[in-house]
Amino acid sequence: MNRASTAIDNLGRSVLRNVEEMGRILLLFISVLSWMIRPPLKLRLIFKQMEFVGVKSIFVVVLTGIFTGMVMALQGYHGFRMFSAESLVGSTVALGMTRELGPVLTSLMVTARAGSAMAAELGTMRVTEQIDALSVMAANPVKHLIVPRVIAGVLMVPVLTIVADFVGILGGYFVGVPVLGINSGIFVKNITRYVDLDDIYNGLIKAAIFGLILSLIGCYKGFNTSGGAEGVGKATTEAVVLASISILISDYFLTAIMF
Amino acid sequence: MIKIVDLHKSFGKQKVLDGVNLEIEEGKTTVIIGRSGGGKSVLLKHIIRLLKPDSGHVLVDGTDITKLNDKDLNEIRKKFGVLFQGAALFDSMTVGENVAFPLKEQTKMKDSEIRKIVADRLRAVGLTGIEEKMPSELSGGMRKRVGLARAIAMHPEIVLFDEPTTGLDPIMTEAIDNLIIDTQKNFNLTSIVISHDVESIFKVGHKIAMLHEGKIVEYGTPEEIRESRNPVLVQFLSGSTEGPIKII
Amino acid sequence: MFSISSEAKVGLFVLVGLIILGYMSFRVGEYGFGLKKGYLVSAVFDNVAGLEKDASVQIAGVEVGRVEDIRLEDGKALVTMRIIPDVKLARDVTALIKTHGILGEKYVEIVPGSEWETYLEEGERITSVERQADIDRLLAQIGAIADDVKVVTTSLSNVLGGEEGEESLKSIVRNMRDMAESMNRIVEQNDEKFSTMLTSLRNASVQMEKTFSSLNEITAGINKGEGTIGRLVKDESTIDKLNKTLASLQQITDKINEGRGTFGKLIHDEETADNLNETLSGINRYVTKAEQFRTFLSYRGEYLFDTSDAKSYLELKIQPKEDKFYILGIVADPRGRRTVKDTTTGGVTTRTEEWERDKVLFNVEIAKRWKDVVLRGGLLESTGGVGIDYFAFNDRLQFTFEAFDFDTDRDPHLKAYAEYRLFKHLYLSAGWDDFLSDEGNESPFVGISVRFEDEDLKYLLTSAPIPRD
Ligand SMILES: Nc1ncnc2c1ncn2[C@@H]1O[C@H](COP(=O)(O)OP(=O)(O)OP(=O)(O)O)[C@@H](O)[C@H]1O
Ligand SMILES: [Mg+2]
Repeated sequence: MNRASTAIDNLGRSVLRNVEEMGRILLLFISVLSWMIRPPLKLRLIFKQMEFVGVKSIFVVVLTGIFTGMVMALQGYHGFRMFSAESLVGSTVALGMTRELGPVLTSLMVTARAGSAMAAELGTMRVTEQIDALSVMAANPVKHLIVPRVIAGVLMVPVLTIVADFVGILGGYFVGVPVLGINSGIFVKNITRYVDLDDIYNGLIKAAIFGLILSLIGCYKGFNTSGGAEGVGKATTEAVVLASISILISDYFLTAIMF
Repeated sequence: MIKIVDLHKSFGKQKVLDGVNLEIEEGKTTVIIGRSGGGKSVLLKHIIRLLKPDSGHVLVDGTDITKLNDKDLNEIRKKFGVLFQGAALFDSMTVGENVAFPLKEQTKMKDSEIRKIVADRLRAVGLTGIEEKMPSELSGGMRKRVGLARAIAMHPEIVLFDEPTTGLDPIMTEAIDNLIIDTQKNFNLTSIVISHDVESIFKVGHKIAMLHEGKIVEYGTPEEIRESRNPVLVQFLSGSTEGPIKII
Repeated sequence: MFSISSEAKVGLFVLVGLIILGYMSFRVGEYGFGLKKGYLVSAVFDNVAGLEKDASVQIAGVEVGRVEDIRLEDGKALVTMRIIPDVKLARDVTALIKTHGILGEKYVEIVPGSEWETYLEEGERITSVERQADIDRLLAQIGAIADDVKVVTTSLSNVLGGEEGEESLKSIVRNMRDMAESMNRIVEQNDEKFSTMLTSLRNASVQMEKTFSSLNEITAGINKGEGTIGRLVKDESTIDKLNKTLASLQQITDKINEGRGTFGKLIHDEETADNLNETLSGINRYVTKAEQFRTFLSYRGEYLFDTSDAKSYLELKIQPKEDKFYILGIVADPRGRRTVKDTTTGGVTTRTEEWERDKVLFNVEIAKRWKDVVLRGGLLESTGGVGIDYFAFNDRLQFTFEAFDFDTDRDPHLKAYAEYRLFKHLYLSAGWDDFLSDEGNESPFVGISVRFEDEDLKYLLTSAPIPRD
């Protein structure tokens, strides 16, 4: 009886905590929005973050994209061969990449690379009082630290995604055509047949939303760090986990809405 | 200038500030002393509202900053320069950029002017020509001095120094003390200094306040403090382990 | 050192991304651009199951539009299609729904019409709509065929498994035995006659020789124009008549070819052709059914060392399916069979044992094969029993173990042997018969057997009347 009530109590508390956290992230988002439209924009900081989030993620994203496309082609081939529909491998890879895997895998990679770095960086700044120092110098930390990161996330993840889509399809092509012997004309033809502009654009919209999610959560977790180096580590882990889960869950709903 | 009224602050069950009352005089240097972990840094953060009190007020030039909105708070904060205990230099910026930061944020000076001021402040703290270094390449003492340079870069009306001389060699300590005294005199600064260095306290301070168990237990001129019979002060100044200040 | 600013790097990267996006959009949107401006036409179908919005609309396999909307109208499907502006549709085009390949998606095929004076305008309707033999219907047909096949196989199993079938098999075997017997009798009884027949044949051949030589003479005479036939052949008018006859024959065949006359009509009538086709396919079905059905006839002789005598088997193996067969056989065992008879007279039971020689024993077995192993059971040498065969080297070598005659007061009859296929129809075997015998019957043996597949019997059996239930 007693144990049961404490269990329910704990459950309630944790639900409440999560709801509260969601609310705080939302408030942070609103504050980011309000600071975003207030000039002057810190262009230099934004570009620096864009370089970090975008340019420096190219390598991992290309690698992920290529191998995803390749493995999809390989797996799809074995599946489709049972129905003599090997020619659909190309369109499967292309649809899978543009709609789902491109945006999702790219943002997961960026979460791991840049989202975690955001949390760690901001967390360190918090525990070493750098954020306090910013405030004291009348420089709003949200404007200085979070706005550039969120802008970079929202803008760069879609660009990375289009690159991932493209190299993924290329990877699928290289496995499908020379290795598995699918006719190249049919491979390409089926891609253009079955893939719509909307597939690509909706994928990119998803990517932008994922970019927002991962940068916002990375910043939120870093910004609210406490407890020294250990706290920074914890914040980083929590940021990656929460961002990844949020991306996957929101992906479901976005897919349900879009397609 | 700054008036602290019945300030209370607890972290969880730990009472750190328990009714602090203190008036900081304009154009004077007030030194706050107290045992390590006694809440001096916490008190300092309340003065610029980096922490919100559980109860009590902090009045800066008559405005209660505990009730201010962000915008007005920012205006008040522009009067301050702060040296944090851990220096709090921005890791992602060079030393030069760190010192230039308040100037760039709060003034519309030209880059060349800013560069000149930065070089001047760095010279004052004995660190000429290290503008291009990153904070991670500096020693602890150097970082503290860069933090000091940043705090006084703007010549703010009020400067808060959290242990400006801790971790410096005696010569450097002397130099920094002189720097604080000079800037205070030249610009008629109101400054609050937290220090453990007994020599510095008497040299720098116009007023000295002793924080003990969340309260200001003694406040006065260096002479008054020196002659005080308060056992807390006696023990603190003599550095004895025997007395009301317990080492647990 | 040369270094690129963040701004430049980011700008370059975004530019590359935009170029890729532009390229992909262009490739994917090839139809999209022109299509937005296209005009709408619609068609009403009975059933559009599987047709999706945005499905392709094609003429002769070339995409000319997309399905814009599918709606229900008076219980039918109203399909609205957007057609590229530069494709004009004649007023009498036909629309039909087709499928790409077996699992491909559905699309609308438009068969061009012939009225090229006026074209369909925006919002107009294609009136001619056709149903197409699509995969659904094909599958339904396949299902019906499968049902037919099932009926056939059930009746077949009834033939072989039911009482009626058993009876007919029995009678077949009986007939065969009768036939063999009477043949034998005929040969025996007419031994004398045969020899006379042979002598007369010999005489006949002498006569024939003579006849041939005189025939030779006659033809020579004909050639010279001698005798009646000779004259006929050499006579010009005869040849004339012959020519005329041939000409009229030619006329008749011509007529037939043109489809005139009763016979000609028959040959040229479509219905006839259909009937013929059906007949042929019926035959085909019959043949394929028979194809799976195989029968084997074999004879085995086993020389038993201990009794210095031979044991003979005549077996018919009926194999309706690859992995299932029946064995019907008769066995002649020189050792005979012991029968035990208990007779009770006045409270005293006496047991009389009789050895019955020359008794014919029967094998009736049902067998099933799993890969290299065959399990069979039924009547073995007129007693209940089971057997297991193991095949090796592509069925060339066979190991067999049989157990039967499980009498309570005797040890069962066990037999083990190996058989090797020497040539196509010839097998050699060696083994041990009744090796547990408590009656001194055990004996090693070597055997030889001939086995061949009987093609005729197969058709005989498969055409046996199929009982319907
Ligand atoms: N953010 C915080 N959360 C919880 N406890 C805190 C926090 N900041 C300070 N404290 C606690 O408040 C007490 C006073 O800390 P403070 O940093 O003010 O000490 P101090 O007087 O500056 O000591 P020192 O001279 O060593 O710097 C300490 O016990 C510390 O553990
Ligand atoms: Mg302190």
